[in-house]
Amino acid sequence: MKTFDIVVVGGGGAGLYAAMEAMKTNPKLNIAVISKIYPNRSHTSAAQGGVNAALANTAKDDTVESHIFDTIKGSDYLADQDAAEVLCRDAPGIIRELENIGTPFSRLDDGTIAQRPFGGAAQPRCCYCADKTGHTILQSLYEQCLRKGVNFYNEFYILELSHDNGRLKGIIALDIKTGKIVPFNSRSVIFATGGYAKMYWNRSSNAAGCTGDGQAVAYRAGIPLKDMEFVQFHPTGLRKSGLLVTEGARGEGGYLFNKDGERFMSKYAPNKMELGPRDLVSRSIETEIREGRGYDSHAGKYVHLDLRHLGADLIKTRLPQIRELSMYFEGVDPIEEPIPIVPTAHYSMGGIDADNDGRTIMKGVYAAGECACISVHGANRLGGNSLLEILVFGKRAGHAAAMEAQENDPSPITESELQRQHKYIRGFHHHDKHERYGIIREELGKNLADNVGIFRTKALLETGYENVVELKKRFKKVRVFDTGDIYNTNLIQVLELQNMLDLSQTVAMGALLREESRGSHTREDFPVRDDENWHKHSMFEYCDDDICVSSKAVTMGKYELQERKY
Amino acid sequence: MFSTKIMMPMVEVKEETRDITFKIFRYNPQIDAQPFFDDFNIPVEKGITVLRALNYIKENIEPRLSYRAFCQAGICGSCAMKINGVTKLACTTQVWDELENCAEENVLLIEPVSNLHVLKDMVVDMDMVVDKIEKYFGWVSTKMPENQFGKKEFNIPEEEFKLYDAATDCILCASCISECTMTKANKDYITPAVLLKTYRMESDSRDSISDKRMDTLVEKNGVWDCTHCYRCMEYCVKHIPIMDSIHHLREKAIETRGKTDTAGAKHADAFVKDIQSKGRLVESLLPIRTNGLMWTVRNMLPMAFKLTKKGKTPPPPFLMKPIPGIKSLRDLLADLKNRNQTTHNGKGGSK
Repeated sequence: MKTFDIVVVGGGGAGLYAAMEAMKTNPKLNIAVISKIYPNRSHTSAAQGGVNAALANTAKDDTVESHIFDTIKGSDYLADQDAAEVLCRDAPGIIRELENIGTPFSRLDDGTIAQRPFGGAAQPRCCYCADKTGHTILQSLYEQCLRKGVNFYNEFYILELSHDNGRLKGIIALDIKTGKIVPFNSRSVIFATGGYAKMYWNRSSNAAGCTGDGQAVAYRAGIPLKDMEFVQFHPTGLRKSGLLVTEGARGEGGYLFNKDGERFMSKYAPNKMELGPRDLVSRSIETEIREGRGYDSHAGKYVHLDLRHLGADLIKTRLPQIRELSMYFEGVDPIEEPIPIVPTAHYSMGGIDADNDGRTIMKGVYAAGECACISVHGANRLGGNSLLEILVFGKRAGHAAAMEAQENDPSPITESELQRQHKYIRGFHHHDKHERYGIIREELGKNLADNVGIFRTKALLETGYENVVELKKRFKKVRVFDTGDIYNTNLIQVLELQNMLDLSQTVAMGALLREESRGSHTREDFPVRDDENWHKHSMFEYCDDDICVSSKAVTMGKYELQERKY
Repeated sequence: MFSTKIMMPMVEVKEETRDITFKIFRYNPQIDAQPFFDDFNIPVEKGITVLRALNYIKENIEPRLSYRAFCQAGICGSCAMKINGVTKLACTTQVWDELENCAEENVLLIEPVSNLHVLKDMVVDMDMVVDKIEKYFGWVSTKMPENQFGKKEFNIPEEEFKLYDAATDCILCASCISECTMTKANKDYITPAVLLKTYRMESDSRDSISDKRMDTLVEKNGVWDCTHCYRCMEYCVKHIPIMDSIHHLREKAIETRGKTDTAGAKHADAFVKDIQSKGRLVESLLPIRTNGLMWTVRNMLPMAFKLTKKGKTPPPPFLMKPIPGIKSLRDLLADLKNRNQTTHNGKGGSK
């Protein structure tokens, strides 16, 4: 069996940057990227807005320091200040590097990369390519990896991190096209599998595959997860799909109405109205719905985002994408009807605990991107910092792995390990299994949205946690009805559900324990930030199907704790 | 054959629903000797996309049904398939809108994209596309040495960005490949998606391997093989003017490679000259002028005999007189040539 130097799990921005940087660091290394989809389909492509870097092209007086401060303040002081500093200091260099290798960016009149203002930032420092920034960055990285001859294993699904009492051996994956279980012996593994916010399912803006596979696999192998309770909600998701209606709709003057025809934001933010900060608007919509002033439907409760008063011309010229989205996914033309919306889970701040070069506690295992918790976003991520994170820490993890891979001499993955996986998968076909995948997944999403959502209380969270435990029990009876080997998507969906269930338990547990309100985590029974008791990271370890919880200090620096006000 | 009447859980009772049959292509090479069609009858309310309907069928009726879907929001390009015979993204296509296009009332026909090998049901092998991107150097190979990366930006005017703005909208969904008549005839053909990608690289001033790329493009199966059917552009889910990009590549090929170098360039040149002198094409000489005398004798003689037998031989050149009004045509051509400052700048192109 051949031994790889580096196996990157995940082919989004972080994974591809890691592979590219590792090949640049040492072209002789044997590197593989495994991805459960074709890398160019990865969810990085959905990031529209842009990527922050203090290039000072648009605002000449912008500084890295200012970017660092905005990031730490935005995190509600839960970010590690050394990590935030790395993120922002590396930013200008990495954006120039991306540009140097061919990424198309929108330009200013002087030919430099254009930048625009973004939420929570003191200066216009968000670099963009029209409204397809993530898409073009992903394309460029994929093209460069093809140019460099990276070995891609497309449509391979990770099953297990193989190790011998904490000594890495590699990974075991399922070849989706053939159904074969394949060992990848490797000196190092980089997890870059994206976020886990899809566990909220219909109340999530994420792709169907953002199921936290890397986090779950690492977690089950004994690597701790961090700050899992922090999940960011975006105020305006479409009712049926959770897909995002961007902030532009409210920016252009859209109104929010409840079922009584009341422009309810007047109660919560009388001055800013619909243009209040994201978390406030999300909480306001949620309050209206909970107090019975939302519309009801089988697809869930919702309120209306009304654009009709803006007129057909404005909607067609300034908001064509939002109109398209509403028509495609709700069958509603906003020129004639209001759009049904509800806040939607958008981003997961938590993830695999990793240092500033992506190292985890297991030697040879690294994590980067939304999959990791480094932590730069703390309790709340700023717009434009997610693309930046995958680039900066993808690159750093790739470099570190390339430098350190030779230190490890993994023992081979054994046949019995493969047999165990084979047996496990075959077990899903057994005739005594009767639970249906879709039903458990639906209940999980609804349970999380209702009980571990925007507003959290002890009672709700206890219910939410118990429901997850119950669903995990029922999962043991889930049946995979497709017994074939070739492209068995039924099996993949079930395996993804298992990952979501394992992670959702840590999310609910973390939210239940954290008795304060910080960033995206709002406890109605503990409405204020409690720095004395809770200015610390939550750590989750897998102990025999139960969770061992501990905490870790936040790395401070020159920025003292302050109240977060905008 | 499946048929059920389970209510969809996402259905809102107040909203109107319609009973719709999905006639779906099925093929699992592990079990099936040949492909067949399965019918699934479900009630669908307004606002449901084809992908959501397929998800419903998979979760409630036939878990073995396979198709790709990831973002479910029209950006990842996974779920291209043929819906009522036309390639579209399942996630952005409304079921109710499709009812107008049904051959049989309320029966939606769902098939995999054409021209790519079917792995199972709607899942096709995309490796062919990746291989072609590699063959035609579908990347920017930057002028900048690697040790200079990250220090300073290239200075690029917004006008250059506009050249490849539309081309970078491509999500490699393979709709154009599915609809392409040339790919149907020749699986080795470069395909519209890859032509578009090479165009995007060719219009980037940071790139340094145009010579190498152009050499590959003008060979067999390359840029000259396109037959101008415009279907790629007509069916592009992102409305990218792909044909404009192909024209641009051809012009560049002639400019950089000279008119006498490749069969494609000579073919184009013969067209222009004939129209210039006679106002119509001298078909009998076209193969010789494009591919040379020896090639024509070797490859076209049997066809020439067949044509003669059927009395369909094109008239010999000496019988081809210039068309009436040739002078005004020539004036028109001269005018066109003066105005020929095409930019091919993508968005809002000739579509």
